[in-house]
Amino acid sequence: MTGKLTRRKLAAALAAPVAAALAQPQTPSAAAAGDELSAARERVATAAAALARQELPMATEPAFRFEA
Amino acid sequence: MAVLGDDIFFATIPELSARIASKEVSAEAVARAFALRLEQLGPRYNALALPLRDHAVAQAKAVDADLKRGRARGTLQGIPYGAKDLLSLANKPTTWGAKPYAAQVFDYSATVIEKLEDAGALLTGKLAMVELAGGGGYRYASASWTGPGLNPWDRTRWSGGSSSGSAAAVAAGLVTFAIGSETSGSILTPASYCGVTALRPTYGLVSRYGAMALSWTLDKLGPFAHSAEDCGLILHAIAGGDANDPGSAGKSFYYAPQYARPMKELRIGYAPADYAERADAAARPVFEAALEVFRAAGAHLVETKLPAFPYDQVLGTILNAEQGAVFEPLIASGRVEELADKAQIAGLKASLDVAAKDYLKAMRIRRQIQKAFRDMFAGLDALLAPGRTGPAPLVDEPRFPLPGAAPAAAPRDSGFGGLIQAGNLAGLPALALPCGFAGRLPVALQVVGAPFSENLLLAVGKEYQGRTDWHRKRPVG
Repeated sequence: MTGKLTRRKLAAALAAPVAAALAQPQTPSAAAAGDELSAARERVATAAAALARQELPMATEPAFRFEA
Repeated sequence: MAVLGDDIFFATIPELSARIASKEVSAEAVARAFALRLEQLGPRYNALALPLRDHAVAQAKAVDADLKRGRARGTLQGIPYGAKDLLSLANKPTTWGAKPYAAQVFDYSATVIEKLEDAGALLTGKLAMVELAGGGGYRYASASWTGPGLNPWDRTRWSGGSSSGSAAAVAAGLVTFAIGSETSGSILTPASYCGVTALRPTYGLVSRYGAMALSWTLDKLGPFAHSAEDCGLILHAIAGGDANDPGSAGKSFYYAPQYARPMKELRIGYAPADYAERADAAARPVFEAALEVFRAAGAHLVETKLPAFPYDQVLGTILNAEQGAVFEPLIASGRVEELADKAQIAGLKASLDVAAKDYLKAMRIRRQIQKAFRDMFAGLDALLAPGRTGPAPLVDEPRFPLPGAAPAAAPRDSGFGGLIQAGNLAGLPALALPCGFAGRLPVALQVVGAPFSENLLLAVGKEYQGRTDWHRKRPVG
């Protein structure tokens, strides 16, 4: 059976593989990299939250001078 | 000239220096023997980044010429050493252990390398390291351009990081001493795992000019060697003010252990939980026996607790903020993806998330930490703790859990668990002292002191090593 190839059908045919690829789950390495970055960002946020809980006298200046 | 025996590769600096000064062996023969050994055995431990045989032989010929004319320059004259590959040597590759910097060459040498050259020491090679000194936080020992650092005591074990090659090369007798760096644990950890003596100097005592920056307010350079006395001799040569290093304390160091107070006058803080709970079961008797050596020497051991601060989070925030600023061009270029460790790549990217307010809060807490340690050292001379709680882990063991995995359970009493982070935040010196074996693998103590108390720590180390011989043990094969 043959049918007329309209512009709309052609566009749909060409777009299909792209859409399929986009719909594919991430490859394991890409997913793992995403997980790693999320975990790293969470560690940064967790540290910031811990620091926020630490009470300091208003007059405490940062340790920019290292008398050590 | 005498034939060089195997013992020369494990000689201390005074022992080797005496043989060179008496002309029993020439500096050139020493340079050739060590350079060859480093080239042959360095790759066995993934410890060698760049062989420098010709460079060392040229230096050695100059030393021999000086000695012939009676120009003695001190105990380091003619002594072979290696430098962590984050230290620049003019016109030679300096890779920082990382693929993106594999072709990097500077036209100047690091201040420590120049100082050691002035002292007549022979640079036989650049030594391997964890990429970017671990910046970003690596999960696996394989995070290195030269492969995972392998432990000379057992090559299925890690040599520790990030100064992996520095510790392994000294342990295996490939160099008489090495220079490494510490931002948070990178000297103490590999020294403990490889069973070598090492010193983390006070922040600012040794110039970092020509060294890779990871964290401007935390980075320090220090020696790995066969004894505490060797560390003192090396520090004597490399310490001192340097206008090229904005963090320089502008202080000199003269090694003078003879003027340090005797052990029986010292009050040394320790936490019983370190030995009873926190240490690996196989290492507990070793650490307890080491404590007994201190007691037998007359030291007053005082039960102590670390001041309560969120050390991990403070250090992590400062390190993230500073390394993010240092490596922002690498991250922005996309070349960060060339690093070997996925967790490290993610960690570097995430480091750009640190807010200015959090960095400043961490630095404000850091000021309180420094004050708390000043107060603590008003009543104590030093702190004593395990360098690491157990021996070197297997080389493919993750250093921290995979994303989503449950974190390890914390001990009930963390003892001095945060001492590495705390000591680095407060800029304190620390000496790693091998103190025995858990199975076939070495473990070590760390002795931590007040700022600029290196002579005291080295005297404590020398006395401990006069009563034990753990620092003289050699790996087989």
